[in-house]
Amino acid sequence: MKRHTLYTLALFLALTLSSFSQNKQLLFGFTDIPQSVLINPSTQLENDWFVGFPLLSQLHANVGLSGVSAFDLFADDGKDFNSKLQDVVFRMEATDFYTATQQVEIFSGGFSKGSSFERDSYFSFGIYLESDVIVYHPKDYLVLAYEGNANNIGRPFDIGDLNVSAEMLSVFHFGFSKKVNEKLTLGARAKIYSSIFNVNSTNNRGVFITEEGENNLLKHTFILDLNVSTSGLKSLLNDENTNATNDTQELVKRVLLGGNLGLGLDVGMTYQVSDQVQFEASLQDFGFINHTKDLETYDIKGNFVFDGINPVFPEVGDGQTAEEYYEEISENFEELFDTEAEAEKYTTLRPIKFNTALRYAFGKNRSRDCNCLADDDGYINAVGVQLYAINRPKAPQMALTAFYYRRILRGLRAKVTYTMDSFSYTNVGLGMSAHLGPLNFYILADNLLEYQNLAKAQSASLQLGLNLVFGRGQ
Amino acid sequence: MQISKVSALLFSSILIVFFTSCVKDVDFEQAENITLTPTIASSILFSNSEASRFSDNGMELETVTDTVPDITILKDQFVNDNLIRAELVFEAANTINRTFGLQVDFLNEDDELEHTFSFFANPSSNGNEVITNYTEIFEDDSLEALKFTSKLIITLSLLPSNDGSMLNENSEGNIGLKSKGIFYFNVEL
Repeated sequence: MKRHTLYTLALFLALTLSSFSQNKQLLFGFTDIPQSVLINPSTQLENDWFVGFPLLSQLHANVGLSGVSAFDLFADDGKDFNSKLQDVVFRMEATDFYTATQQVEIFSGGFSKGSSFERDSYFSFGIYLESDVIVYHPKDYLVLAYEGNANNIGRPFDIGDLNVSAEMLSVFHFGFSKKVNEKLTLGARAKIYSSIFNVNSTNNRGVFITEEGENNLLKHTFILDLNVSTSGLKSLLNDENTNATNDTQELVKRVLLGGNLGLGLDVGMTYQVSDQVQFEASLQDFGFINHTKDLETYDIKGNFVFDGINPVFPEVGDGQTAEEYYEEISENFEELFDTEAEAEKYTTLRPIKFNTALRYAFGKNRSRDCNCLADDDGYINAVGVQLYAINRPKAPQMALTAFYYRRILRGLRAKVTYTMDSFSYTNVGLGMSAHLGPLNFYILADNLLEYQNLAKAQSASLQLGLNLVFGRGQ
Repeated sequence: MQISKVSALLFSSILIVFFTSCVKDVDFEQAENITLTPTIASSILFSNSEASRFSDNGMELETVTDTVPDITILKDQFVNDNLIRAELVFEAANTINRTFGLQVDFLNEDDELEHTFSFFANPSSNGNEVITNYTEIFEDDSLEALKFTSKLIITLSLLPSNDGSMLNENSEGNIGLKSKGIFYFNVEL
C-alpha cells in the first residue's frame, strides 16, 4: 500500500474527525439545532431559513468498543501484556464489536414555506460525508492464533466470526416536512449515496474442526464459505502513480457523485398528542448502494476433510503412491484456498436507523425581567424517553435514553441525557445550543462521566457545529 | 450582555471538561511485544497393510518404501522463523506375529540425508492388537534439520521371524500405522 494514498485517506478521515456516534441521542428532538432535522425529516424547525457553515455545521465522531475498554488492556499495572491480551481475547464474545462513525457536513441549508402565521412546510438539504466501521471480535480466529488446534481437539472454530464492514460515502439529500393537520406532521428525505470506498465481509459461514480420527489419529474438517468484497480500494491502493494529488482528485470526484451510487429514503412523523405531549418516530437510511466500479472481491468456498496421506506403500496397499496422494491433497488445498481476486458486482444495504421519542413539556416561561420580545410562549422544560435502534450485521444494536431539556435563556438551550446501550449503563450526555443573533453554535457530548479517564470509557461521542439561523421565532 | 456571558461561561466549562479529560495510567507501548504461542496438530501418514500382501510368489517382501516429495511447508519462511519445537507421534497397531521396523528419512533439496529415525512395532503372538507408540522430538539441531526437509522416505521393513516361518497368501492379521505432527510456534508480532 502506498504511503501517500494512506495519508490521503487519513486526511479524509481526519477531516471527518469530529464526534458523532451513530446514536445521536442528544441531537434527536433538539429542534433549536437545525441538524436535528436530519434525524427525523418531519421535524419542523422554527426558523425562516438557515445555512450551515461549510464543513463546520456538523462534525460528529463516535467510537465504541463493547465488552472491553482500552484500560483493561493497556493499564500500566505491571501485569504481562500478553496475558492481559489473551484474557481479553478469551473474555470477549464473537458478538462484541468495535465501531467508529464520523460525519461531517460539507454543506447544509433549509427554509420554511407558508405564510408567517401558518408556516406548514419546511425544506432542508445538504451534503455530508460519513464513515462507518464495524468490526466484530473475530474470537475463534484469535483463539486459533493463540492456542492452535492441538489443545482444541473437538472444538469447532466458527468461520463466521470474521465479520467486518467499513465504508466512506458522501450523501446528497433533500427533505420535506409538511404539517398535515394540527396534530400530525409528516416528513421524508431522499438521499443519493456516492460510495468512496467499501469493504464488506459480513456473510461468512463455515467451520474448521480437528477431531479424533478413525483412519488416522486426527481428522481435520474444513467447511468454508467466505467472501470479502471491496469497492473503491483497488485503484487507490494499486495505481502506479506516485502523485498524491491524483488520489485526492479521485476522492473529490467520488464525493461529487463519482463513486458507486445508491439511493435511500428517510421517513418520519411527529404527532402532537396534546398541548404538552408529543410523540415522534423516524426511519433513516432505508437504502442500498450498488457496487459496480473499481471492484476487488475474494471467495473461498468448499468442503474438505483431511486425515493424512494414505495409502503409503503401493506394493502392499492399493494402487496409489504416497506421492500421488500428496499431490492430490496439495491440489485440493490449493483449490480450496484459491483466493484469486475477482470483480463481482455486489449490493450493500445501508444500516437502517430507527428513532422514536415521547416527550412531555412543562413550565410556562415567566420571565422576571419582562422580556417583551419573548421568543415564544412555549414551555421551557421537557422530559421524555427515546429509543434508538440500528440494524447491524449480526444483530440490531439498541439504546434507551431518558432526557431533560431546558430553555435556560432566550438564546441558550440545554439537554441532558442518560443512556443505556451495548457499551454501558451509565452514559450521561450534555448538549448545549447557543444563539447569538443569527449565529448558532452547538456542542453535544456523551459519556461525560468517563472524561476523567477516557481509557476506561468503552464509547465516546462528540458533536459540534456552527450555523447561521434567521427568523428564529421572531 | 447577560446572555452571552452565561453562554460563554457554560461553554467554557464544557470545553474545560474536554481539555482536562485525559487518558491515565496506561502504557500503549506494551503492545509492541505481542507473542502468540499456538500449537498446531496435523494428521500426517496412515496406512494399513494385510499380512498376506507381504507375500510375493512364495517370497517375503523384506522392505516396502514410499516417498513424499516436494514438501514446501517446512521451508516456508513463517515456519522457519517461528517453529520452536515439533513432535512426530506414531502409533503402530500390529496383529501379525512379526516385528516390523519403520524408518523415516528426512532429505533436503539435494537429496542429502538431514535426519532419520526408526522404531519397531512389536509382534502379536495371539492375534490381538499390539499397540506400539513412538514419538520423535525435534529440537535444536534436529529442528534445524526438519526445517531443511523437502522429502520424506518412509520404509517399512518386515523383520525375520524367530522360527523361520514366512508370511504367505493365507496369513492373517495386519499392520496399521497412524501418525500426527504437533508443531509448537512462538510468533512475535
